[in-house]
Amino acid sequence: MIQGCSTFIHVGQIHVDRAPGAISTVLGSCVAVCLYDSNLGIGGMNHYLLPFWNGNGLQSPRFGNIAIPKLIETMMAKGSSPKTLQAKIFGGASMNIGGSEAMMIGEKNILVAREILKEYRISIVAEDIGGQNGRKIQFDLDRGKVLLKYAQRSDMMNLGDK
Amino acid sequence: MESKSMYHEEECGEKCEEVAFLSRKILDLNKQLIESEKAKSRFLSLVASELNNPMTALLGLIPRLAPQNDERLEAIHSLVHEEALILDFRIQNLVAAAEIESGEQNITKALIDPVELVNEAAEALKYPLKAKNIQLVINNTLEKKIVTDPQKLYLILKNILANGCCYGRNDEKLEVGIHENGTTVFMTVKNRGEGPNVEYKPQIFTRFAHGPDGGHGLGIGLSIVRELCERLGGSIDYASGEDTVTFTVTLPLETLLPTSEACGSNEFLFESFDGAIEL
Repeated sequence: MIQGCSTFIHVGQIHVDRAPGAISTVLGSCVAVCLYDSNLGIGGMNHYLLPFWNGNGLQSPRFGNIAIPKLIETMMAKGSSPKTLQAKIFGGASMNIGGSEAMMIGEKNILVAREILKEYRISIVAEDIGGQNGRKIQFDLDRGKVLLKYAQRSDMMNLGDK
Repeated sequence: MESKSMYHEEECGEKCEEVAFLSRKILDLNKQLIESEKAKSRFLSLVASELNNPMTALLGLIPRLAPQNDERLEAIHSLVHEEALILDFRIQNLVAAAEIESGEQNITKALIDPVELVNEAAEALKYPLKAKNIQLVINNTLEKKIVTDPQKLYLILKNILANGCCYGRNDEKLEVGIHENGTTVFMTVKNRGEGPNVEYKPQIFTRFAHGPDGGHGLGIGLSIVRELCERLGGSIDYASGEDTVTFTVTLPLETLLPTSEACGSNEFLFESFDGAIEL
Protein backbone atom coordinates (compact mmCIF):
# COMPACT_ATOMS: atom_id res chain seq x y z
CA MET A 1 0.00 0.00 0.00
CA ILE A 2 1.42 3.36 -1.04
CA GLN A 3 1.58 5.96 1.75
CA GLY A 4 1.17 9.60 0.76
CA CYS A 5 0.68 10.99 -2.73
CA SER A 6 1.34 9.46 -6.09
CA THR A 7 2.55 11.95 -8.67
CA PHE A 8 1.70 11.09 -12.25
CA ILE A 9 4.27 12.05 -14.85
CA HIS A 10 3.71 12.54 -18.58
CA VAL A 11 6.09 12.32 -21.51
CA GLY A 12 8.95 14.78 -21.08
CA GLN A 13 8.61 15.12 -17.33
CA ILE A 14 11.12 14.27 -14.61
CA HIS A 15 10.08 13.94 -11.01
CA VAL A 16 12.30 13.38 -7.99
CA ASP A 17 10.73 12.94 -4.58
CA ARG A 18 11.36 11.44 -1.20
CA ALA A 19 9.58 8.77 0.81
CA PRO A 20 6.73 8.40 1.56
CA GLY A 21 5.02 8.84 -1.76
CA ALA A 22 5.07 7.42 -5.22
CA ILE A 23 5.58 8.36 -8.84
CA SER A 24 3.52 6.73 -11.57
CA THR A 25 3.19 6.72 -15.31
CA VAL A 26 1.94 4.78 -18.34
CA LEU A 27 4.33 3.55 -21.01
CA GLY A 28 4.10 2.19 -24.52
CA SER A 29 7.23 2.42 -26.64
CA CYS A 30 8.34 5.15 -24.23
CA VAL A 31 10.79 4.22 -21.52
CA ALA A 32 10.89 5.28 -17.87
CA VAL A 33 14.10 5.07 -15.90
CA CYS A 34 13.58 4.84 -12.13
CA LEU A 35 16.50 5.72 -9.87
CA TYR A 36 16.52 4.99 -6.16
CA ASP A 37 18.89 5.97 -3.41
CA SER A 38 18.11 3.82 -0.39
CA ASN A 39 20.54 5.73 1.85
CA LEU A 40 18.67 9.00 1.38
CA GLY A 41 15.23 7.52 0.73
CA ILE A 42 14.83 9.48 -2.49
CA GLY A 43 13.83 8.30 -5.90
CA GLY A 44 13.20 9.77 -9.32
CA MET A 45 11.57 8.83 -12.57
CA ASN A 46 11.65 10.16 -16.11
CA HIS A 47 9.47 9.30 -19.10
CA TYR A 48 10.90 9.77 -22.55
CA LEU A 49 9.41 9.27 -25.99
CA LEU A 50 12.42 9.08 -28.31
CA PRO A 51 16.02 7.99 -27.83
CA PHE A 52 17.92 10.97 -29.22
CA TRP A 53 17.57 14.72 -29.29
CA ASN A 54 18.09 15.70 -32.91
CA GLY A 55 19.56 19.13 -32.32
CA ASN A 56 16.32 20.86 -33.28
CA GLY A 57 13.90 22.43 -30.88
CA LEU A 58 14.44 22.57 -27.16
CA GLN A 59 16.58 20.08 -25.26
CA SER A 60 13.48 18.62 -23.76
CA PRO A 61 13.45 15.47 -21.61
CA ARG A 62 11.22 13.88 -24.24
CA PHE A 63 14.51 12.48 -25.49
CA GLY A 64 16.38 9.71 -23.68
CA ASN A 65 19.82 11.21 -23.98
CA ILE A 66 18.52 14.40 -22.37
CA ALA A 67 16.12 12.86 -19.84
CA ILE A 68 18.46 10.27 -18.31
CA PRO A 69 21.47 12.52 -17.58
CA LYS A 70 19.03 15.16 -16.29
CA LEU A 71 17.42 12.67 -13.91
CA ILE A 72 20.85 11.56 -12.67
CA GLU A 73 21.95 15.20 -12.22
CA THR A 74 18.76 16.01 -10.29
CA MET A 75 19.35 13.04 -7.98
CA MET A 76 22.98 14.08 -7.49
CA ALA A 77 21.93 17.64 -6.70
CA LYS A 78 19.85 16.17 -3.87
CA GLY A 79 22.89 14.40 -2.43
CA SER A 80 23.00 11.08 -4.26
CA SER A 81 26.05 9.74 -6.02
CA PRO A 82 26.11 7.22 -8.86
CA LYS A 83 27.60 4.71 -6.39
CA THR A 84 24.52 4.80 -4.18
CA LEU A 85 22.02 4.78 -7.03
CA GLN A 86 20.19 1.78 -8.40
CA ALA A 87 18.22 1.84 -11.62
CA LYS A 88 15.16 0.08 -12.92
CA ILE A 89 13.97 0.43 -16.49
CA PHE A 90 10.51 -0.11 -17.93
CA GLY A 91 8.70 0.23 -21.25
CA GLY A 92 10.09 0.13 -24.76
CA ALA A 93 7.27 -2.00 -26.17
CA SER A 94 6.65 -2.45 -29.89
CA MET A 95 3.25 -0.83 -30.06
CA ASN A 96 2.90 -0.89 -33.84
CA ILE A 97 1.31 2.54 -33.84
CA GLY A 98 2.40 5.11 -36.39
CA GLY A 99 5.35 3.10 -37.64
CA SER A 100 7.09 2.96 -34.25
CA GLU A 101 7.74 -0.74 -34.83
CA ALA A 102 9.49 -0.20 -38.14
CA MET A 103 11.63 2.50 -36.55
CA MET A 104 12.34 0.21 -33.59
CA ILE A 105 11.70 3.14 -31.26
CA GLY A 106 11.15 0.92 -28.23
CA GLU A 107 14.40 -0.97 -28.84
CA LYS A 108 16.38 2.22 -29.25
CA ASN A 109 14.80 3.74 -26.15
CA ILE A 110 15.91 0.72 -24.14
CA LEU A 111 19.37 0.77 -25.64
CA VAL A 112 19.94 4.42 -24.82
CA ALA A 113 18.95 3.79 -21.18
CA ARG A 114 21.40 0.90 -20.87
CA GLU A 115 24.24 2.80 -22.51
CA ILE A 116 23.87 5.96 -20.43
CA LEU A 117 23.43 4.09 -17.15
CA LYS A 118 26.50 2.03 -17.97
CA GLU A 119 28.44 5.19 -18.61
CA TYR A 120 27.47 6.58 -15.19
CA ARG A 121 28.19 3.13 -13.66
CA ILE A 122 24.71 2.84 -12.27
CA SER A 123 23.59 -0.77 -12.04
CA ILE A 124 20.24 -1.86 -13.42
CA VAL A 125 18.71 -4.02 -10.71
CA ALA A 126 15.36 -4.72 -12.36
CA GLU A 127 13.70 -4.25 -15.71
CA ASP A 128 10.54 -5.10 -17.58
CA ILE A 129 11.06 -4.04 -21.16
CA GLY A 130 10.12 -4.78 -24.75
CA GLY A 131 7.21 -7.00 -25.68
CA GLN A 132 4.03 -5.71 -27.20
CA ASN A 133 2.10 -4.50 -24.16
CA GLY A 134 1.91 -1.10 -22.61
CA ARG A 135 2.69 -0.82 -18.93
CA LYS A 136 1.39 1.11 -15.95
CA ILE A 137 4.01 1.54 -13.28
CA GLN A 138 4.03 3.00 -9.80
CA PHE A 139 7.33 3.66 -8.05
CA ASP A 140 6.97 3.32 -4.28
CA LEU A 141 9.61 5.62 -2.80
CA ASP A 142 9.24 4.13 0.66
CA ARG A 143 10.60 0.77 -0.39
CA GLY A 144 12.20 1.55 -3.73
CA LYS A 145 9.92 -1.00 -5.37
CA VAL A 146 8.04 -0.62 -8.62
CA LEU A 147 4.54 -2.04 -9.07
CA LEU A 148 3.79 -2.95 -12.66
CA LYS A 149 0.62 -3.81 -14.52
CA TYR A 150 0.25 -4.36 -18.23
CA ALA A 151 -1.99 -1.67 -19.71
CA GLN A 152 -4.88 -1.92 -22.12
CA ARG A 153 -4.51 -0.12 -25.43
CA SER A 154 -7.38 2.25 -24.50
CA ASP A 155 -5.36 3.44 -21.50
CA MET A 156 -2.42 4.14 -23.77
CA MET A 157 -4.57 6.15 -26.18
CA ASN A 158 -6.02 8.17 -23.31
CA LEU A 159 -2.58 9.24 -22.26
CA GLY A 160 -1.21 9.90 -25.69
CA ASP A 161 1.59 7.41 -25.32
CA LYS A 162 2.80 5.69 -28.44
CA MET B 1 9.30 -24.32 -42.68
CA GLU B 2 11.62 -24.50 -39.70
CA SER B 3 14.62 -23.35 -41.71
CA LYS B 4 12.57 -20.43 -43.01
CA SER B 5 11.71 -19.32 -39.49
CA MET B 6 15.34 -19.78 -38.40
CA TYR B 7 16.44 -17.64 -41.33
CA HIS B 8 13.88 -15.02 -40.33
CA GLU B 9 15.15 -15.00 -36.75
CA GLU B 10 18.73 -14.70 -37.95
CA GLU B 11 17.79 -11.80 -40.18
CA CYS B 12 15.96 -10.06 -37.28
CA GLY B 13 18.96 -10.60 -35.03
CA GLU B 14 21.29 -9.04 -37.57
CA LYS B 15 18.96 -6.08 -38.03
CA CYS B 16 18.73 -5.54 -34.27
CA GLU B 17 22.52 -5.63 -33.98
CA GLU B 18 22.85 -3.11 -36.74
CA VAL B 19 20.28 -0.81 -35.13
CA ALA B 20 22.12 -1.14 -31.81
CA PHE B 21 25.43 -0.31 -33.45
CA LEU B 22 24.04 2.71 -35.27
CA SER B 23 22.19 3.90 -32.17
CA ARG B 24 25.42 3.81 -30.15
CA LYS B 25 27.10 5.84 -32.83
CA ILE B 26 24.27 8.42 -32.82
CA LEU B 27 24.45 8.57 -29.03
CA ASP B 28 28.16 9.35 -29.26
CA LEU B 29 27.72 12.08 -31.84
CA ASN B 30 24.77 13.49 -29.98
CA LYS B 31 26.88 13.90 -26.85
CA GLN B 32 29.07 16.45 -28.62
CA LEU B 33 25.98 18.28 -29.83
CA ILE B 34 24.49 18.41 -26.34
CA GLU B 35 27.75 19.70 -24.87
CA SER B 36 27.90 22.52 -27.40
CA GLU B 37 24.30 23.50 -26.70
CA LYS B 38 24.60 23.22 -22.92
CA ALA B 39 25.88 26.76 -22.47
CA LYS B 40 22.81 28.13 -24.22
CA SER B 41 20.48 26.07 -22.02
CA ARG B 42 22.23 27.14 -18.81
CA PHE B 43 21.99 30.73 -19.91
CA LEU B 44 18.29 30.34 -20.62
CA SER B 45 17.46 29.00 -17.18
CA LEU B 46 19.64 31.55 -15.36
CA VAL B 47 18.20 34.53 -17.21
CA ALA B 48 14.65 33.27 -16.83
CA SER B 49 14.51 33.16 -13.05
CA GLU B 50 16.53 36.33 -12.48
CA LEU B 51 14.40 38.52 -14.72
CA ASN B 52 10.91 37.23 -14.14
CA ASN B 53 10.09 38.74 -10.75
CA PRO B 54 11.21 42.35 -11.27
CA MET B 55 9.46 42.36 -14.62
CA THR B 56 6.14 41.34 -13.08
CA ALA B 57 6.43 44.20 -10.59
CA LEU B 58 7.25 46.69 -13.34
CA LEU B 59 4.30 45.63 -15.46
CA GLY B 60 1.98 46.03 -12.51
CA LEU B 61 3.25 49.54 -11.78
CA ILE B 62 3.63 51.10 -15.22
CA PRO B 63 -0.12 51.47 -15.98
CA ARG B 64 -0.51 53.41 -12.70
CA LEU B 65 1.90 56.03 -13.95
CA ALA B 66 -0.25 56.97 -16.95
CA PRO B 67 -0.11 60.77 -17.25
CA GLN B 68 -3.25 62.81 -17.88
CA ASN B 69 -3.63 65.61 -20.44
CA ASP B 70 -0.03 65.71 -21.54
CA GLU B 71 0.53 64.33 -25.00
CA ARG B 72 4.30 64.23 -24.79
CA LEU B 73 4.28 62.34 -21.49
CA GLU B 74 1.55 60.03 -22.75
CA ALA B 75 3.70 59.12 -25.76
CA ILE B 76 6.68 58.41 -23.51
CA HIS B 77 4.47 56.37 -21.20
CA SER B 78 3.17 54.30 -24.12
CA LEU B 79 6.71 53.68 -25.31
CA VAL B 80 7.80 52.52 -21.85
CA HIS B 81 4.75 50.28 -21.57
CA GLU B 82 5.36 48.80 -25.02
CA GLU B 83 9.00 48.01 -24.29
CA ALA B 84 8.06 46.49 -20.94
CA LEU B 85 5.46 44.26 -22.63
CA ILE B 86 8.02 43.10 -25.24
CA LEU B 87 10.53 42.35 -22.51
CA ASP B 88 7.93 40.50 -20.47
CA PHE B 89 6.96 38.37 -23.46
CA ARG B 90 10.57 37.39 -24.04
CA ILE B 91 11.01 36.54 -20.37
CA GLN B 92 7.83 34.44 -20.44
CA ASN B 93 9.31 32.48 -23.35
CA LEU B 94 12.63 32.05 -21.57
CA VAL B 95 10.88 30.80 -18.44
CA ALA B 96 8.81 28.36 -20.51
CA ALA B 97 11.90 27.10 -22.36
CA ALA B 98 13.77 26.63 -19.09
CA GLU B 99 10.82 24.77 -17.57
CA ILE B 100 10.41 22.49 -20.59
CA GLU B 101 14.11 21.67 -20.61
CA SER B 102 14.14 20.96 -16.88
CA GLY B 103 11.31 18.44 -17.24
CA GLU B 104 9.51 20.13 -14.35
CA GLN B 105 6.55 21.41 -16.28
CA ASN B 106 3.23 20.44 -14.81
CA ILE B 107 -0.15 20.67 -16.46
CA THR B 108 -2.79 22.53 -14.47
CA LYS B 109 -6.11 22.25 -16.21
CA ALA B 110 -9.01 24.63 -15.93
CA LEU B 111 -12.23 25.40 -17.75
CA ILE B 112 -11.48 28.29 -20.09
CA ASP B 113 -12.91 30.32 -22.92
CA PRO B 114 -10.29 30.41 -25.71
CA VAL B 115 -11.69 33.74 -26.98
CA GLU B 116 -10.79 35.36 -23.66
CA LEU B 117 -7.25 34.03 -23.98
CA VAL B 118 -6.97 35.36 -27.54
CA ASN B 119 -8.18 38.79 -26.38
CA GLU B 120 -5.76 38.75 -23.45
CA ALA B 121 -2.86 37.87 -25.78
CA ALA B 122 -3.98 40.56 -28.24
CA GLU B 123 -4.06 43.11 -25.42
CA ALA B 124 -0.43 42.27 -24.61
CA LEU B 125 0.38 42.74 -28.31
CA LYS B 126 -1.66 45.89 -28.76
CA TYR B 127 1.31 48.12 -29.58
CA PRO B 128 2.79 46.01 -32.43
CA LEU B 129 -0.74 45.43 -33.81
CA LYS B 130 -1.43 49.15 -33.69
CA ALA B 131 1.95 50.05 -35.20
CA LYS B 132 1.21 47.92 -38.27
CA ASN B 133 -2.48 48.79 -38.26
CA ILE B 134 -3.38 45.10 -38.19
CA GLN B 135 -6.94 44.33 -37.22
CA LEU B 136 -7.61 41.20 -35.19
CA VAL B 137 -10.71 39.26 -36.28
CA ILE B 138 -11.96 36.31 -34.23
CA ASN B 139 -14.21 33.69 -35.77
CA ASN B 140 -15.34 31.38 -32.99
CA THR B 141 -17.78 28.49 -33.44
CA LEU B 142 -17.10 26.81 -30.10
CA GLU B 143 -20.25 26.59 -28.05
CA LYS B 144 -18.70 25.46 -24.79
CA LYS B 145 -15.67 26.34 -22.76
CA ILE B 146 -12.79 23.89 -23.00
CA VAL B 147 -10.58 22.21 -20.44
CA THR B 148 -6.87 22.82 -20.88
CA ASP B 149 -3.91 24.50 -19.22
CA PRO B 150 -4.70 28.23 -19.58
CA GLN B 151 -1.16 29.50 -19.05
CA LYS B 152 0.28 27.21 -21.67
CA LEU B 153 -2.46 27.88 -24.19
CA TYR B 154 -2.06 31.62 -23.56
CA LEU B 155 1.65 31.43 -24.39
CA ILE B 156 0.95 29.31 -27.48
CA LEU B 157 -1.61 31.83 -28.75
CA LYS B 158 0.53 34.82 -27.88
CA ASN B 159 3.49 33.40 -29.79
CA ILE B 160 1.56 32.58 -32.95
CA LEU B 161 -0.30 35.90 -32.82
CA ALA B 162 3.02 37.72 -32.38
CA ASN B 163 4.41 35.72 -35.29
CA GLY B 164 1.38 36.62 -37.43
CA CYS B 165 1.74 40.28 -36.51
CA CYS B 166 5.49 40.27 -37.12
CA TYR B 167 5.32 38.66 -40.57
CA GLY B 168 1.91 39.98 -41.56
CA ARG B 169 1.62 42.95 -43.91
CA ASN B 170 0.58 46.38 -42.70
CA ASP B 171 -3.09 47.41 -42.80
CA GLU B 172 -4.33 43.82 -43.12
CA LYS B 173 -6.35 41.47 -40.97
CA LEU B 174 -5.03 38.86 -38.59
CA GLU B 175 -7.73 36.20 -38.54
CA VAL B 176 -8.16 33.84 -35.60
CA GLY B 177 -10.42 30.82 -36.05
CA ILE B 178 -11.59 28.58 -33.20
CA HIS B 179 -13.49 25.45 -34.20
CA GLU B 180 -14.05 21.87 -33.09
CA ASN B 181 -15.11 18.59 -34.67
CA GLY B 182 -16.33 16.67 -31.64
CA THR B 183 -12.94 15.34 -30.56
CA THR B 184 -10.48 18.05 -31.47
CA VAL B 185 -10.21 21.83 -31.12
CA PHE B 186 -8.60 23.69 -34.00
CA MET B 187 -7.22 27.16 -33.46
CA THR B 188 -5.93 28.92 -36.53
CA VAL B 189 -4.09 32.19 -36.96
CA LYS B 190 -3.98 33.48 -40.51
CA ASN B 191 -1.97 36.49 -41.61
CA ARG B 192 -1.45 38.10 -45.00
CA GLY B 193 2.12 37.93 -46.14
CA GLU B 194 4.83 35.66 -47.45
CA GLY B 195 5.36 32.21 -45.96
CA PRO B 196 8.42 31.28 -43.91
CA ASN B 197 11.54 31.10 -46.02
CA VAL B 198 12.66 27.58 -45.08
CA GLU B 199 13.53 24.43 -46.98
CA TYR B 200 11.82 22.05 -44.57
CA LYS B 201 8.82 22.73 -42.37
CA PRO B 202 10.36 21.59 -39.05
CA GLN B 203 13.07 24.22 -39.45
CA ILE B 204 10.80 26.99 -38.27
CA PHE B 205 10.15 25.12 -35.02
CA THR B 206 13.89 24.96 -34.35
CA ARG B 207 15.21 27.15 -31.58
CA PHE B 208 17.51 30.03 -32.43
CA ALA B 209 16.40 29.74 -36.06
CA HIS B 210 16.29 33.10 -37.77
CA GLY B 211 13.57 34.60 -39.84
CA PRO B 212 14.00 35.61 -43.44
CA ASP B 213 15.16 39.09 -42.46
CA GLY B 214 17.76 37.97 -39.98
CA GLY B 215 15.49 37.30 -37.05
CA HIS B 216 13.07 38.93 -34.64
CA GLY B 217 13.21 38.23 -30.95
CA LEU B 218 15.10 35.33 -29.48
CA GLY B 219 14.14 32.71 -32.02
CA ILE B 220 12.68 30.34 -29.46
CA GLY B 221 8.97 31.20 -29.72
CA LEU B 222 7.85 28.57 -32.18
CA SER B 223 10.02 25.85 -30.64
CA ILE B 224 8.25 26.59 -27.35
CA VAL B 225 4.88 26.51 -29.08
CA ARG B 226 5.59 23.08 -30.50
CA GLU B 227 6.70 21.69 -27.13
CA LEU B 228 3.71 23.21 -25.32
CA CYS B 229 1.24 21.88 -27.92
CA GLU B 230 2.69 18.39 -27.60
CA ARG B 231 2.62 18.71 -23.81
CA LEU B 232 -1.11 19.47 -24.04
CA GLY B 233 -1.61 16.39 -26.21
CA GLY B 234 -1.91 18.35 -29.43
CA SER B 235 0.23 19.59 -32.28
CA ILE B 236 1.10 22.64 -34.40
CA ASP B 237 1.45 22.94 -38.13
CA TYR B 238 1.36 25.68 -40.73
CA ALA B 239 0.36 26.06 -44.33
CA SER B 240 1.42 28.78 -46.76
CA GLY B 241 -1.07 29.94 -49.35
CA GLU B 242 -0.43 32.30 -52.21
CA ASP B 243 -0.62 35.34 -50.01
CA THR B 244 -1.38 33.92 -46.60
CA VAL B 245 0.22 31.92 -43.83
CA THR B 246 -1.99 29.91 -41.48
CA PHE B 247 -0.77 28.35 -38.28
CA THR B 248 -3.05 25.66 -36.86
CA VAL B 249 -2.94 24.49 -33.27
CA THR B 250 -4.73 21.21 -32.68
CA LEU B 251 -5.73 20.22 -29.17
CA PRO B 252 -7.83 17.34 -27.82
CA LEU B 253 -11.34 18.58 -27.02
CA GLU B 254 -12.17 18.25 -23.33
CA THR B 255 -15.11 20.03 -21.82
CA LEU B 256 -15.31 18.45 -18.37
CA LEU B 257 -12.87 18.88 -15.53
CA PRO B 258 -11.94 15.65 -13.70
CA THR B 259 -14.13 15.30 -10.63
CA SER B 260 -11.35 14.07 -8.37
CA GLU B 261 -7.74 15.07 -8.38
CA ALA B 262 -5.25 13.07 -6.36
CA CYS B 263 -2.47 15.02 -4.71
CA GLY B 264 -1.67 17.41 -7.51
CA SER B 265 -1.88 14.68 -10.11
CA ASN B 266 -4.31 15.27 -12.91
CA GLU B 267 -4.72 11.62 -13.73
CA PHE B 268 -7.20 9.29 -12.15
CA LEU B 269 -6.39 6.25 -14.19
CA PHE B 270 -4.65 4.38 -11.42
CA GLU B 271 -7.67 2.85 -9.81
CA SER B 272 -5.70 0.01 -8.26
CA PHE B 273 -2.44 -1.85 -8.38
CA ASP B 274 -3.94 -5.04 -6.91
CA GLY B 275 -2.34 -8.05 -8.51
CA ALA B 276 0.53 -6.00 -9.90
CA ILE B 277 4.01 -7.43 -10.38
CA GLU B 278 6.55 -6.01 -7.91
CA LEU B 279 10.05 -5.32 -9.18
